[in-house]
Amino acid sequence: MRDRIALVGTYMRLAVLNELQYRANFWGSLLEGFLGLAVALGSLAVIFGHTDNLAGWSAMELLALVGIYYIMSGYIQTFVQPSMERLLRDVHKGTLDFTLTKPEDAQLLVSVRAFAVWNLIYVLLGIAVVVFALARAGDAPSTGQIVAFVVTLLLGGVIVYSFWLMLATIAFWYIKIENILVIFQSMYEAGRWPVGIYPPVLRLMLTFLVPVAFAVTVPASALVGRVSGAALAGTLLAALGFFVAARLFWRRGVRAYAGASA
Amino acid sequence: MSIEPVITLNNLRKVYTVPVREGGLRAAARSLIARETRDIVAVNGVSFTVAPGEIVGFLGPNGAGKTTTLKMLAGLLHPSDGSARVLGYEPWQRNHDFLRGITLVMGNRNQLAWDIPALDSFDLNRAVYRVPRAQYMRTRDELIEMLDLSTLVNQPVRNLSLGERMKCEIAASLLHSPSVLFLDEPTLGLDVTMQRRIRAFVRAYSQQYGATVLLTSHYMADVEALCKRVIVIHHGALLFDGDLTALVDRFSSSKTISLQLGEAVPHMDQAAWAAFGERIDDGEDSLIRLRVPKAQCAAITGRLLATLPISDLTVEETPIDQVIEEVFAQPQTDIATQEART
Repeated sequence: MRDRIALVGTYMRLAVLNELQYRANFWGSLLEGFLGLAVALGSLAVIFGHTDNLAGWSAMELLALVGIYYIMSGYIQTFVQPSMERLLRDVHKGTLDFTLTKPEDAQLLVSVRAFAVWNLIYVLLGIAVVVFALARAGDAPSTGQIVAFVVTLLLGGVIVYSFWLMLATIAFWYIKIENILVIFQSMYEAGRWPVGIYPPVLRLMLTFLVPVAFAVTVPASALVGRVSGAALAGTLLAALGFFVAARLFWRRGVRAYAGASA
Repeated sequence: MSIEPVITLNNLRKVYTVPVREGGLRAAARSLIARETRDIVAVNGVSFTVAPGEIVGFLGPNGAGKTTTLKMLAGLLHPSDGSARVLGYEPWQRNHDFLRGITLVMGNRNQLAWDIPALDSFDLNRAVYRVPRAQYMRTRDELIEMLDLSTLVNQPVRNLSLGERMKCEIAASLLHSPSVLFLDEPTLGLDVTMQRRIRAFVRAYSQQYGATVLLTSHYMADVEALCKRVIVIHHGALLFDGDLTALVDRFSSSKTISLQLGEAVPHMDQAAWAAFGERIDDGEDSLIRLRVPKAQCAAITGRLLATLPISDLTVEETPIDQVIEEVFAQPQTDIATQEART
């Protein structure tokens, strides 16, 4: 286990070194982060100019949700998306062969290989927004709420990772499917709002088909103290289910993999 | 054989199922719904063994099944049938001890990170293969020395030439001191000098570490320089397994006579030469080259010497790449009958 942590550390160090070559990416991420945030705040201001409650969420609670959305986006764009895009490229070019001949779990290797360090800016922005929203809202969340929030956020991270891995694994059968990752990105946009505001069918889709609810709404609900024990247990189960399913699917994919060109 | 082989293949077979469709929009639309597939036999029951420390040339034209076989031996593909053992393991189980004992180098693909110095990528392989740091430093410095990399490993890989990059790739693949090397076209696209250096390195490495090497290459010079033994596959089946010289004996039906005339002989036009053998020189300088059937070589040489004012004459075996070319040019059925005859 300690070996594996050291291994992940070595990979990250290397990815950071690689990324440091592209300083422009830092300014790009920074600019994009602030622009996106300005748009999100603008739309919140418009809505709360007409009402003081959206599907049970107050303005500051929704602002906290936007912050969590940013934290999750930052995580996805820093760790998950770069690794999965790299995996798709490797399957297409056949360079995944090098990963599969390494004496280490291939899923672990493909999951930690790329690391877009600049996108951590979104995580920092998100944390700042959450802290600001909580401070403006007045009552600080209880310790229990904070613990529930951190746990559900971590579980949400696991669920999102598993979902992306399953999408990327499809490449083992269809080789060239770069577009498939867009499925997640476009649906994830919907996570800017609590899934409760959507009609039931869409809500169900956003929970189980593309697990946006677990990634953003559930942690936000936990933070503002509106999550039941059953929902917490459900999140844990969903995380386990998604992770195991992704693992099994990955193994089948590796078996089917033939490498690009013989 | 008293020595346990390192690599054993027993009737190894691989069938790919590939989608097929006719050209045109309608066929494309149809294939969206129901993909038609066809089976392609890439490797059709290949068996051989390789002893420890051997360097074996693995030859065949494009699409003969070389890379598929190598991939099965490196654990990347499951065979459709048959069995194989490498270092005592079934490769496709991908046992970690097995993977620590082998390496795969592919001339057309690279594993080094593009934007950082090779030295940093080396460190990654140290971590993945769990090489103890002291041993890693020793091996790394040895490889840097043997491949003359000291000025290259500190530069971002993207700044290196193709040949320099390949040398770094090879070093990266050997940091865990594997005892079985699968080299798939390691000299692809390199200039002659660089090819020669890589060849010399492979030989030195194998001698120093007793490593077993299975090498595919389209450059016969690689094979001639490194491999005493060659295995030829064609259309997925084993065509020849033995000494390189035996391959030439068996498949080359001709020899080449090169000669120079001491004085001009006006009556020797194209038709007159054809009575001795096939002219294969370009006719521009005074050197004349004739291809003659092997069995009649001595007789023809005698006749030439007796009838013409010859100042110089040599008899050569057909060059190896020409032999290989002839072998590969044969359609499948010819080979089958040849197999049956021998």
